[in-house]
This record gives sequence, structure tokens and C-alpha cells, in this order.
Amino acid sequence: MKDLKHLYYFENLLTEANNDLVRQAKAEGKLAIGYTCYHMPEVLLNLDNCFSVRIRAPRTGSMEMATYYMSNATCEYARALLERALEGGYQFLDGMAGVDVCECMNRSMENMELLKTNDQSKKGFFWCNLDSPCHDNEDAVQHVTEQVTRKVLKPLHENYGVDISDAAVRKAVEEHNEVCRLLKEIGDYRKLENPTITGHEFHILTLATYCCPKYLILDKLRETAEELKTREPDTKKNYRAKVVVVGSEIDDPDLIELIEDSGALVVADRFCYGSIPGRQEIILNDEEDAVTQVVRNYLKTTLCVRHVEPHKVQLRLDTAARLKEEYHADGIIYEQIKFCTYWSYERALASHIMQDEYGIPTLSIDRPYMSRTSGQLRTRVQAFVERLEIQKIRAAREQREKEAAGNGV
Amino acid sequence: MAYNPKTGKGLGDLYSGDMRCTKHREWRGFKDTFYDFYRWLKLLGMLGTTLAPVMPQMMKALKRYRWMVSYLTTPNFVDRHTIGLRGYNLRYVHNQFYAVLQNSARMIKEILERDENVNPGSKRAAELRSKTIIFDEMMPIQIMNGFPTLKGLLIQMVPIFMAGEVDQQANMYYIDAVEHFGLAPDVCPLPAAEAGCCVVDDYPRIGSAYIGSTMPCDGSVATNMYSERYFKLPSYTIAPPQRFNEPEVQDYAVKNLWGAVEFIEKQFNVKFDWDAFFEGVKRYNQETKYMLEKWDINCTPYPQVGGAALALHREYEMQIASALDPKMSKYDAKTCRMMRKGYEHDKKNDIKPRYRAIVWSCPAHYYSNFTYWAENCWGIKTLVDMECMLSYHFYDEHDKKKVLVDMAKGYERMTMRSHSNGGYINALDECWKMCEKFDANIVFMYNHVSCKNFAGLQGLFEDQARERGIHLIWVEHDLMDPRTVSRKAMRDRVNRYMTTVFRAEPLDPTLVDYDDELTW
Repeated sequence: MKDLKHLYYFENLLTEANNDLVRQAKAEGKLAIGYTCYHMPEVLLNLDNCFSVRIRAPRTGSMEMATYYMSNATCEYARALLERALEGGYQFLDGMAGVDVCECMNRSMENMELLKTNDQSKKGFFWCNLDSPCHDNEDAVQHVTEQVTRKVLKPLHENYGVDISDAAVRKAVEEHNEVCRLLKEIGDYRKLENPTITGHEFHILTLATYCCPKYLILDKLRETAEELKTREPDTKKNYRAKVVVVGSEIDDPDLIELIEDSGALVVADRFCYGSIPGRQEIILNDEEDAVTQVVRNYLKTTLCVRHVEPHKVQLRLDTAARLKEEYHADGIIYEQIKFCTYWSYERALASHIMQDEYGIPTLSIDRPYMSRTSGQLRTRVQAFVERLEIQKIRAAREQREKEAAGNGV
Repeated sequence: MAYNPKTGKGLGDLYSGDMRCTKHREWRGFKDTFYDFYRWLKLLGMLGTTLAPVMPQMMKALKRYRWMVSYLTTPNFVDRHTIGLRGYNLRYVHNQFYAVLQNSARMIKEILERDENVNPGSKRAAELRSKTIIFDEMMPIQIMNGFPTLKGLLIQMVPIFMAGEVDQQANMYYIDAVEHFGLAPDVCPLPAAEAGCCVVDDYPRIGSAYIGSTMPCDGSVATNMYSERYFKLPSYTIAPPQRFNEPEVQDYAVKNLWGAVEFIEKQFNVKFDWDAFFEGVKRYNQETKYMLEKWDINCTPYPQVGGAALALHREYEMQIASALDPKMSKYDAKTCRMMRKGYEHDKKNDIKPRYRAIVWSCPAHYYSNFTYWAENCWGIKTLVDMECMLSYHFYDEHDKKKVLVDMAKGYERMTMRSHSNGGYINALDECWKMCEKFDANIVFMYNHVSCKNFAGLQGLFEDQARERGIHLIWVEHDLMDPRTVSRKAMRDRVNRYMTTVFRAEPLDPTLVDYDDELTW
């Protein structure tokens, strides 16, 4: 396929957290608010003159300092962020909207705070450890609403004079929805028989929407959506199977590229930093205050593994199966970043259930934070692709035999 | 002191690398040996009396459940904790452990009475099951004080939690089973073993509703998925807030906890009995009062009830007995009476510990007598253990609204959770505060190699201990799996620190290096 016009541009933006667009927005007097997790309602960090940056640690190499502080048995993502913070990589931020939903991430944030990794000259800087329950009922909605109001909106308003009115929230939701509509339009091309966008390309675009000020990427996203309308796929398919990737945090497009280089086209991204969930529109009514509605939306749509109530577990399983159908995938790859406790449990259980009860071929893998050079991972994906191919060949043969038997041959 | 410098014989000689128990019982002088033997007989008598009515089921359970056999070693479990002890210290341990074990024995009996697997087709067992709620083990069941007609049982407690403490070999099979199933080996082995027990179908079937919890850690939260799927019972999840130091979170905590009460009311068509509940609250307050008294004495130069006798007892009292067992207070009262005498005795004779230490982070289940070893070998007295510093505030005894807030706070501050959750202040700052309060300059810092929560603060602990001049002795372990870090390896960490940093001589050199890998 012909390269997407702006792909290289978007890819470059992902090479550092404090990228060109972040710097541009900061130069325009905007406030950068860092966050990591879906449980922190992203739209509420985009009020008025603020913009959210879902922080990453691209090009992570050694994590020695972070390993000293957090040991070598903790999530590499959490450690990579701490390492980058210790290196001064997040000093551009004006606030850090953290959440206390998983041990490693919480400790990573606490280390950042205690080790004073933020720019100490920013007097308005605030740290937040949002408490988000493992329930999604109305009590939980009220609880999280109180939390975001007290821990995020209040400091934004009091420290920086940010407009946190209902109107400001609704405006932020509108902008969020526009990004979501565009990404959905782009992402829907993955549902085609021969998709006109790869998983790697789509992941780059998705990540850009998480890591850059939205108002600065909208134009290029629109152009990309337009470009895709006429983009021709390669005449010969350059993949051997289509897969849904389900699992923990992936903020590294190289991992998706590795999977695709191994023959599996990633058609749906159901993982943290992916678009499902995260890039769906938020529909507000006029009766209730916008903050509560936003919070409810995030609690209801979260597919995070820490929600262990049976209806949520079932929702996750059904979602994975639905995506497989909707995106015409051949199988599912369950992945987890090493040392992620939640996903370790989910991956082990769901990979059995998907295989045994849903009849969906499933690959279960764990991986390091930076996995671009993992030969082992490549081999496992290749083997999975071969398995899917063999299954397809067998199914086709059985179909032919059935038809032949039906025709009395 | 048990070590005889003339003969060179000491407590380490009791162990043999090829034996599961000690070579022989310890001679403690006539009076203490007689007392010890009497308590041994008393324990066996209690176990026999409690379990005799369910002997047929017990025989079946020995065949059906892999964990059951571990309980045959119960007397050895107590012996491990009394080695080297004399006088009052010996009596504290016996009394505290007896309180725990009488409660545990009853729990085993209640499980065996109800279990569908060992009572197939029994109407009585079915009737009992219909009035039983099973709980995830990692929470207190104090709400059951308000349901006197129902029974609450912590389902994983007997097969996993307690079994691992009684017998260090007990949990390995379940850990291996779940890792074979696909779980990563880096997660905490406690919830992993719980999930493994589901995978190999080794839980008794004893209830008709399930209350899960999101306590105290990510692994525990995630294990719920396995339990829910395995038990297939109507369920509710108690999910206390994480940042529980904030007063604003208590509204949600109360609603969430009350949700469990409403769930039980609905499932069993009963009403919450406030009068019965307040009776339980009074028991809890009484137990807490005794606990605080023990701490207060340990803050003085003449500490008394320490180590596992303090920590394990409080853990069981709060989390398992949950003020439902009036006998716990009775034994507490007895211990406190002895403790006062012991304190006066030590004060009069000016008997002080050689070193004063506190224990921080999660201790190894498979080595609950570690602190007694440290005392016998190096003279390090453990004054308090993080694990016993769970909820120690008093509950309101009259006001329904206030008591619910108090109980919600109690649930927030239960085993492991009180310090590992709620922000670094509860783990870091609290540790230094306790060092000051208990006048301790040594911290046995348990480095549970699979606990990501405390691992995430490792560097900060190191930095801050150095700033404060506190001896932080890191002791690696893997909670339920002695294959990762053996008891001997745990001891070696202390040995190295004591010889290289303190330049100390052991009180009992035979305890410095001995082999107990095969022991229960």
C-alpha cells in the first residue's frame, strides 16, 4: 500500500513524551496534564486551556535507577516511567493525574512525587492518586465524581484558574468525540476483507491522539481519514492471518509491527493505550451534570481487569469474541506486560475460556515493555499464524468434503 | 538460654536435614518441660474433642483433599514457635496459639460438617450449607455478627492460608497447578495458590452464597475471577476504597459494605440483627483493648508478648474469628494477666532484650517462627509486626451510622491492607513512626519477592532508613513457596547482617547454620 501521507509525522511525535506538538501547545500557554490510565477520565484533563498527555517512555533502554527504587520484580512500564521521570523527562508537565488502581503504577507515581521529579519551579503543580473502586454501580460513580472533583478539577481551577464549568466539560467532550469519530472512521477500514490500514499504522494514530494536544492533530487526522477513502490495498495480501490483540498496556507501535511482520495483521486493539475502549464517543444528556456523566461513561466502559465482578468479566470475554467477529479476525492474541499481576490472571483464564468455550484460537504471551527485538515473541506469533493457517486449510478441506458428500460424489 | 557453652550443644542440634520434625523435644528444666508437655496434651485433647464428631468426614477429607494432611502436623506447628522459650514467654505462646487453634479446629469441623464432597446426599449437610455464606479469606467477617442464624466461613482459609502456615510444603502443589494453567510465576503465591486450588478442584463445597473481596492486593483482586467461576454461587464483592486515609472515601466504603449486608438479607431472607451485631462490636473492642495493652508493654524496656504470638494471634482474631468467638477474649484476658506479671518480673530483675526490632512488610507464611529463631540465635526481640497492626481503632457501641463507618475503616485496615494500601504514608512513614514508638533500631524488612506493592517502595525504604540510622535487614522470602527462598536463606540474611554490621556473636551458634528444608 502507498504510505499514508502523515504517518511519518505522527510516528515522529511518538519518539518522545515532550514532543513537538506538546512543546507548541506549551508555548501557546497551555497546560500539560500527564496521566497513564483509562480510569482517569481523559476528557476532564482537556478543559479550557489544558491538554492531556498520556505519558510513555519511548526508546527506553536501561532502567537501573527505577529498578533500585522499585526492584526488578515490578511492571516494566511503571519502572520505565519512573526512570524517565528521574531523567527529567516529564518536567514539562503542569500536573500529574495518577490513579491508585494497580500497585506498580501507584508506586511509580508515589516515587515520582517523593523523589521530586516534577519541575519544582511550577508552584501550581499537583499530584493526584485517584481512588477508583472495582465496581461500576452508581455508588462508585458518585465516589469517583467526588474524587476527580477534589483531586483534579479543584487544583486545576485553584492553582491555574482553569474553567471547570459544565460548559467547559461539554466542550472538551465535543472535541474528544470529534477525535473519536475520526479514529472510528479510520479504524473501520480494518474491518474490510483486505484492510486498507495496518494495525501498526492505526496504533500510531491512536497513540498520537493520546499523547498530543488534540486540537493540533485534528487537521492531519481529517486528512488521513480522507486519504483512506481512496487508499488501495495491496493486490496480494501481505498477511497470513488476522488477529485481535487483547491485553495490558501497549504504547509501543513496534510491538504491533513485530506481530504484523510475523504474519498476523492486527485488526482490533483491545488493550490499554489502544482504541477499544478509549476512542468511543461520550454521549451526554442535558439533565445531569457533565462530570458525573463523564465519570459514569468511563466506569461503565472500562474493560480493565481489576473489575472482577462476574458481569464485568463476562463483558470482557464477550467483547473479545465480538471483536473477533466484527473485525473478521482468525484468532486472538492475549498479551500481558511482564509483572502485570492483573493481566497475568486474566490472560491465563481467558485464553482457556476463549479456546475451550468460545472455540476461538488463542495465543497467550507475556512480553517486556520494549519488545521490538524479542525473537522469542516473533517465533511464538509465527507459530500461532501457522496454526491458524492449518486450521483454515482443514476447515476448507472439510467444507469441500461435505459439499462433495452432499453432491453424492 | 538453651545453648550450653560447655557441651557446645544448642537448639540447632534438634534439627536433622533428613527429618520432618525435630530429633526430640527440648529439655527446658523440669517446670517448663512439664508445662510444655501439659499444653501439648491439652492441645491434642482439644483437637480430639472438637474433631471427634466429624471423624468419618475427616477420614474422607484426608483422601479427598491434598491440604488436609497438613493439619496432622498441628502440634508440631506449636512446637516450632516454643523452641527456646522459657517462663512467661513460653506461656504466652501456648496461650495465644491455643486461642487461635481452638477457633481453627472448630472452623475445620464446621467445614467438614457442611462439605458436599465428604457428605454426599446428606440432608443435614445440605441444611447447614443453605445457611452458610462463604467469604474470600482476605477480609474480616465482622458483619456476620449481625446474622446470628447464619454461618460465615472464609473459604480459602483452611485449604490454603492456614495450611501454609502449619506446613511449609502445603501450598506448592496449588502454586504449580496454576502456573501450569498459565499464570505467570512472578505473582504473589498466596492468591496464586488460591486460584490453583480452584484449578485442581480442591475446595470443599460448604455454602450457598459467596462474598468476594478486592483485598489486599492486585493478586487477591484478580483471584476473585477464579473463585467466582469455580463456586458458581450468587455473589457480592466487597471493594473498600484504596485511599482510605481520606475522610471523603468513607461514604462509599459504608455503602459498599452495607451492600454486602443487603445481599445477605436478600439471599437468605433474614434481617440484620443490630443487637447481636453490637454484642460482637463489644467483643471486638475488648479484643482491641487487650491488643493495645500488649503493644504498650512492648514499648517499654521490658517487652513481653512478641513475635508470632502477637502477630498471628491478632491476625486470626481480627480477620478470622472476627469477634464471633467469645473465647478469644477469654484467652486474651488470661494472656494479659500473665503479661502484667511477666512485665513486673522482668522489670524487677531488669531483664531487657539484647536488640529491639520490629517486623515490616508481609511475613513468610512458611516461616512464622522466624522471629523466635532471631531471638534464640541473636537475641533480637521482635516487638511488633506490621501484620498485627491492622485495624486497632474502637468501634462505636451504640450508634448504627457511626459503627458502620468504624467497621468500614476496619475492613480497610485489615491484614496486609492496612499498610500496603492507602498510599506510601501507611507503609513508609508508619514504619519509622513505629520504630520510634517501640524504641527499635532494627527493622526486619521482609522482602516478599512477589509483592509488587512493597517492592515499589524498596529504594525509598533504603534511602530513608539510612537517613534515620535504622538497621534495615532485608529478608527475602516468597510468602507461601519455600522453594524460591528457603528458611535457611532467610536466616542467612540476618546472620550476614549481624556478623558484618553489628559484629555480634550469636547467643546460640548451633542456630546459625542448620538444615530444616524438609521440616513441616
